[in-house]
Amino acid sequence: MSNVIVRRVAEFLKRFPPFSFLSPAELEGVAQSVEIQYLEKGETLFRQGEAARPHFFILKEGTIHLVEDAAKGEEIREVCDEGDVFGVLALLGKRPYLLRSKIVENSLVYAVPVETFGKILEENSRVALFFAAGFAAGQVVVRQDLSQGQKARSAFKSASGDHSLLIFSDQSQVKVSEKVLTCSPETSIREAAQLMTEAQVSSIVVCGQGNFPLGIVTDKDLRSKVLASGVSTARAVSEVMTSPVVTAKKQDGFSNIYLSMIRHRLHHLVLTEDGSADSPVCGIISDHDIFLSMGNSPAVLIHGLMNTLDVGDMRIIRDSAEQMLRYYLENEIAMEFVASVMTEINDVIISQAIVIAQTQLRPDFPDMDEIRFCFLSMGSEGREEQLLRTDLDNALLYQDVPPGRQSEATEYFQKLGELVIEVLLACGFAPCPGKIMASNAEWNQPLSVWKGYFSEWILHPTPEALMKVSIFFDYRAVAGAKSLAEELTQHVYQEIAHKQIFLNFLAQNALKNPPPLGFFKDFVVEKSGENRDQFDIKSRAMLPLTDLARLLVLSHQVVGINNTFKRFEKLSELEPGNAELFSQAGTAYEILMRMRALEGLQHHSSGRYIHPKSLGKIQRQLLKNAFAPISELQEIVNIRFQLDYFRR
Amino acid sequence: MSWWKFWKAKPAQRDFVSEFLRANEEAIAGARALEQLRFTVLDTETSGLDPRKDSILSFGAVKVSGMKIQVSSAVEWYPESPNNGGKTAPIHGLVGIPNPIAAEDFAKQVLAYVGNSIIVGHHIGFDLEILGKQLGFFGLERLPNPVLDTLSLAIRLEHGPHADRSRIHLESYSLDSLCARYGIETEDRHTAAGDAFLTAQLLLKLLKKCRQKGILNLKDLLKNY
Repeated sequence: MSNVIVRRVAEFLKRFPPFSFLSPAELEGVAQSVEIQYLEKGETLFRQGEAARPHFFILKEGTIHLVEDAAKGEEIREVCDEGDVFGVLALLGKRPYLLRSKIVENSLVYAVPVETFGKILEENSRVALFFAAGFAAGQVVVRQDLSQGQKARSAFKSASGDHSLLIFSDQSQVKVSEKVLTCSPETSIREAAQLMTEAQVSSIVVCGQGNFPLGIVTDKDLRSKVLASGVSTARAVSEVMTSPVVTAKKQDGFSNIYLSMIRHRLHHLVLTEDGSADSPVCGIISDHDIFLSMGNSPAVLIHGLMNTLDVGDMRIIRDSAEQMLRYYLENEIAMEFVASVMTEINDVIISQAIVIAQTQLRPDFPDMDEIRFCFLSMGSEGREEQLLRTDLDNALLYQDVPPGRQSEATEYFQKLGELVIEVLLACGFAPCPGKIMASNAEWNQPLSVWKGYFSEWILHPTPEALMKVSIFFDYRAVAGAKSLAEELTQHVYQEIAHKQIFLNFLAQNALKNPPPLGFFKDFVVEKSGENRDQFDIKSRAMLPLTDLARLLVLSHQVVGINNTFKRFEKLSELEPGNAELFSQAGTAYEILMRMRALEGLQHHSSGRYIHPKSLGKIQRQLLKNAFAPISELQEIVNIRFQLDYFRR
Repeated sequence: MSWWKFWKAKPAQRDFVSEFLRANEEAIAGARALEQLRFTVLDTETSGLDPRKDSILSFGAVKVSGMKIQVSSAVEWYPESPNNGGKTAPIHGLVGIPNPIAAEDFAKQVLAYVGNSIIVGHHIGFDLEILGKQLGFFGLERLPNPVLDTLSLAIRLEHGPHADRSRIHLESYSLDSLCARYGIETEDRHTAAGDAFLTAQLLLKLLKKCRQKGILNLKDLLKNY
């Protein structure tokens, strides 16, 4: 048994990865070999270019900056605080240190011998993955392989319960039809079919005395046993019914009921009072009911949305979509798939909202159906990146109408926009604080006015205009006449071609937010307001990436790709020289999206503000690594658009 | 030679004691830099506060060399003692020690461990007295090693070399107070090894302070005023 001192060291180490992945025996071995060193502010632990020591380090207390000494002076590359592992080059390949470790606050440093740990690195795959993913501070200075990071996070994810049964959103919600359509055995086939048609059901239970079930006739029976076999519809149903019926009782619980349906290959299961065929019928359950209760299938959700114009139902379906989203995010389902599914669901809701609004307005505006219009989603929804029901950003674009019809069109589309927004709000979407919505008259205009807006922004790129650009340039036609949106896009590119300098303004705007370095003290978090001490993931990490992607895609005159990570994908095709950086940026963006959405789901918020302290070490490091491509991209943009000259 | 001295004759010096003394014959150079010094930081838990009657229940120690705590050197020993289970035992939680070490083996291990390093402890005088008694049975009159008391060192660093001890509030130089002042987490108080570990961390911090005050080598460090 190890002594108190070794145990104390082990207890500290075990709180932090990669030590948290060690077996007790491995941990004890490592703890036993630690050397503890105390360094005061201003001292240096190792210097840039110095040969690797036989140890790597973990910070017990204090603050250490890893700095790069460059011609311009020293540049902070990484800030280490409690639990950060650094100086690992010694462990990985014994290369000289790339950075200097500068003691910023008095620090207690634990040194772990490479010799002890190297063996663990070979044997423990999770530890190997930790280092492969670049989680240690200052490990790879320039760029991290982010895909390794994602892989690692998925491997480190705490087993948060078994999700295998989660395909059923809520088992108690499985709908059992209690009003069962029944008939007597003497009823003619034709009559039975008529009853089924009237009741709009796919089965009828044939009952004898006391409402005891004798058999069942389904749509399929009518097809195969009656029509295909040429049986007269005047005969009694008892001749074609399936008998005896398999029965169960409602209290059997969902899994038993479902299992007996699977076992008997049944599409319908009859429920009786005591579960036997010698008791009155009290319900029926169909595989369709079960299908609809599988809340976590995108197909079911979309199918459900397309088949309802009831706002209450739409809300319920959108809520279940969120459960599905959470499952996807936690299980590291590819972001492209997740975003596409959620976009599709949101788009269907918008389309249905438009149908609801049109139906409501038709009596008052019978002539307006013929005017072509297009509903545009902007911002994140426009980029197909909206996972949570955060701010609505949308607009309405309609064809130019003769002056004589303009006032009627204005009124009609205004009302249409308002109704659509009301439906969306009822479905749980949050309104746009900047009122960029189809219900706002300013953003509900005919094509010529829209062209004018864009021309104005491009010709006079004031700060305010550039802010608009960041929202409006990512528009996407969701419903209606998409050709109108295409015409607008053509116009935008023509205008930009005439005024190339606009891109320089856009570039300048994209560099406004330098990437954050890491989480330390009050360096990067909000300094005041209600989100004090929180990290604004949207404006500090995601916005710079969307801005950069938009700018570069516009500069290549690429049309029709709105999604930020798809834009980066396209860019790496267009610029093979920067392919790696672009693909890193795309991955970084996916990581940020996932992190933001999970944060939002957890705290029932927009997820925009993250509490750095509540993030685990891995999450924090992954986030830090995700910042790496931002500064590199900004540097490229700075040079490409000659911003150093431009600013003068 | 008077009869009572003959009666209280010194026990014969055992081989392991002689060996230990030989290793300590050569004094450590006074000019040796702090970074080159080897320290043994130790603490004992005893059955009571009277060195004549009480004995060591547990012994914890760790080495500091190159200004680094060598966790690999940490030891925690429980010597055989007539006082085991005595009155302080419940406080220290030392009831029913599994494998007590026989007195002679304990003495052997301690001397082999300490070697010719500098002995460090907090309020070390008491520990040395009671340890000395136990080692005395095997023919060691007194430990020849240089001794450094972190309590005295802290007072010297904070109040200067000529501080008047009578005017210093000794309470604020207890291990607990110093740990609080120097930002050392205290979780394992009242186990010998736990206290030795705390004392070792305190030593690291005090040694840094020494360097700032121009105390750079052993001679400076052990200077008595």
